[in-house]
Amino acid sequence: MRRAFKIYRILVAQNLKRIMEYKADFLTGAVSFLINQAIGIAFIFIIFSQIPALAGFKLEQIVFIYGFSQVPKGLDHLLTDNLWSVGYFIIRKGDFDKYLTRPINPLFHVIAETFQVDAVGELAVGIGLIAYSAPNAGLYITPLSVTLFVLAIPFAALIYTSIKIITSAFAFWIKSSGFIIQMVYGMNEFAKYPTTIYNNAVKLFVTYIVPFAFTGYYPALYILTGENPLFNIGGVVAVSIVFFVISILIWNRGLKAYESAGS
Amino acid sequence: MNKIRKQYFPFMRAGIQSVIAYRMNFIGFVIGGLVYCFVMYYLWNAVFLSSGSDTFMGFSMTDMVVYLFLSNATGEITFSSVSTDIGEEIRDGSISMRLIKPVNTDMSYFATEIGGSIIRFVVFALPVTIGIEIYRYCMLGRIMFEPVNFLLYLLSALLAYIISFRVNLCFGFVAFYVKNLWGIGILKNSIVNFLSGSLIPLAFMPEWMKTILEYMPFSSMNYTPVMIYMGKYGTTELFVRLAVQAVWALLVYGLSKLIWFGAVKKLCVQGG
Repeated sequence: MRRAFKIYRILVAQNLKRIMEYKADFLTGAVSFLINQAIGIAFIFIIFSQIPALAGFKLEQIVFIYGFSQVPKGLDHLLTDNLWSVGYFIIRKGDFDKYLTRPINPLFHVIAETFQVDAVGELAVGIGLIAYSAPNAGLYITPLSVTLFVLAIPFAALIYTSIKIITSAFAFWIKSSGFIIQMVYGMNEFAKYPTTIYNNAVKLFVTYIVPFAFTGYYPALYILTGENPLFNIGGVVAVSIVFFVISILIWNRGLKAYESAGS
Repeated sequence: MNKIRKQYFPFMRAGIQSVIAYRMNFIGFVIGGLVYCFVMYYLWNAVFLSSGSDTFMGFSMTDMVVYLFLSNATGEITFSSVSTDIGEEIRDGSISMRLIKPVNTDMSYFATEIGGSIIRFVVFALPVTIGIEIYRYCMLGRIMFEPVNFLLYLLSALLAYIISFRVNLCFGFVAFYVKNLWGIGILKNSIVNFLSGSLIPLAFMPEWMKTILEYMPFSSMNYTPVMIYMGKYGTTELFVRLAVQAVWALLVYGLSKLIWFGAVKKLCVQGG
């Protein structure tokens, strides 16, 4: 474990050096994500200029849910972005062999290799929106609720990571699974809004099948109302652990099935 | 004419073949787009329920559904990846192979892409349009399809595609200066999505903003054809809109040519 931390530190330091070298690159990436988010928010404000409440939530509450949903997303984006490359081209080009020849866990190596600072854009918007909306969102604040809420964030990020591990691992069998990651990851759109706006089938889908609802709406609902911590927070923990275990199983089976591509 | 057909047809065929060869990617993006449409559908549904009225700024829920899906389908057919393609070719030097061919360089990209667009039209936009019409029939109990509007839509979508292609071409030249093409691509897409009205109809925006955006090239890239299809324009406005599109098509055509002539002289390919 200590060795893993040490390796991780070294790899991240390498990444940061690269970022310092290409400052313009980093700025473009972070600013791009920032503006991308700002536009999503403009959308909510335009809607609310016409209606007082959406599905029983007022503007600040919707903004709070939206902002919160960006935090786990950004955290995962920051730490595990290299999984996209596994799905898109590392396996297809035969470059995955590299990870197998090193004396560390290949999954750990893949993840540790990239530290994606573009995610700063998402994190900044998420935190900014929470700060903006929290005073007027009518939050349910007790020491316990805040602790539980903050605790849910890493688990919510783990849901993103697990989904990315599963979908990128498909590349071990089909060589390139970028489109599957894209497709499934894109469903995080559902996490930004209250699940009560969806019909039951969609609700079940985003709660249990591709559980993005646990990365945004449910934990945010807990801090907004203080209701049902067992489901809203406990669910995040349980679902993330279940999905993480499944993702590791699939990844390991994939590793066994991996046949190097290219020459 | 025959010569042009002979020159560019192979590029078009290559474009069609590449979409078919990478069909899984294509399907992935299409499904991603549809998921997005459904999220928006539910969101708008909630908005309509919350507003307690049948129409929201002149749009009924049925209008909204048509708008969402058609705008997505229009986005698919006017999609252009020439900015990344040209960036890649500049980087790996394969652009030199294009330059030595006795064809117009930008037209060869255009021909390749229009091949892809034809496929996307046939396997995606057309089924979506049929779906929309079935939906409208079920909701309203009568056939709403207007052949004239559909034909005008096709014309307008073609103009939209030309503008989208040229804007992307200009954008591709940014690759000369910026390395994070991926980040820039996200930036471009989100800005275009917003300003072109594919995220939220321009009709919902504050009046001053709407007026400005209607005369910017972005609305010509998506909003105009969709509104034409929906029959939201009167005859005069229709011609004004088409004229605005045509003017922008010419302007961005000129701009891309200008940048291209400047850039190609500086082009320096390593190896290859």
